[in-house]
Amino acid sequence: MIQVPSWVRDVFENYLICEITTLDNDKPVTFPMLFFYDSSSGKFAVTSSILFSKKVEHLKKNPRVSLLFSNPTGSTVPKHAVLVQGNAKCEDSDLDHGWERFLPQWREKEPYIDAFLSEREKFSWFWKRIVIEVEPRRITAWKNADTQKQGEEFRS
Amino acid sequence: MEERGHTEARRGVPELTNMVGIDFDRLAGFRYAIVTTVSSEGYPWSIPTEFEVTIKHEILLRKPIWANAFTGKRVGVLFNHIAAIPSGGYTERRYMLVWGKLTESGDKLKLTPEEVSEWDEKILPFAQLCAKSAPQGQKYLEKL
Repeated sequence: MIQVPSWVRDVFENYLICEITTLDNDKPVTFPMLFFYDSSSGKFAVTSSILFSKKVEHLKKNPRVSLLFSNPTGSTVPKHAVLVQGNAKCEDSDLDHGWERFLPQWREKEPYIDAFLSEREKFSWFWKRIVIEVEPRRITAWKNADTQKQGEEFRS
Repeated sequence: MEERGHTEARRGVPELTNMVGIDFDRLAGFRYAIVTTVSSEGYPWSIPTEFEVTIKHEILLRKPIWANAFTGKRVGVLFNHIAAIPSGGYTERRYMLVWGKLTESGDKLKLTPEEVSEWDEKILPFAQLCAKSAPQGQKYLEKL
């Protein structure tokens, strides 16, 4: 587990979304996504509907991924920028229930998610979800998002 | 929020990606840009920076550190917006992902767009987006 200072942990524990990048051959493809952080392991997870699963196809060919945390909207943490580079593992053996272990964290970030869940039948394929787990290899952090300066680097 | 896409309809029909067609007024409404390339170690490498859209529709990025790693390269640049909901969560989701080449332009980096993928939930509501994305879901299920 990579050790980081408290202001970086605050970002991981409080930001709502990150910007995930996968590689389509050498083409970087970046999308904003809700993420979940496990402070005990230092790993991250996102879940993707099969409807929006191109990123998973990319990761199955090349597991190298990055998560950028740059948007503090909806949190009380100041604006910083933290880049996590790591390897992703995609879990799609139980599309209907495998992702449900993240529901408690999901509810904290999006309290209205249960209203969508109650329409699970209507959006059945949206709720077929792949779990993408990311194990960090390198973290680069810019306090106050000052990306004109060298970031602080942390490795395992 | 996750991988989604449309391109604003010029004649009312949203498309998933578009090789041209950037709405520069909408682009100018984003607050910052995220530039992404591939590092020497083969991992994606992203950095946020400020940007401006000129009256000539040039997209100019403030040079972040290691700007030379981007210059002359084809990069992906994400412009993203969400608004917080006071009771928790977020809304007003929209993004524009522009691929193109970055070149030096004085003390800035100029992005020459080649391709764009975007989504704005006010233009393409989420339920419609799900319906539109069914072929990708079908494709994934068939490969399992």
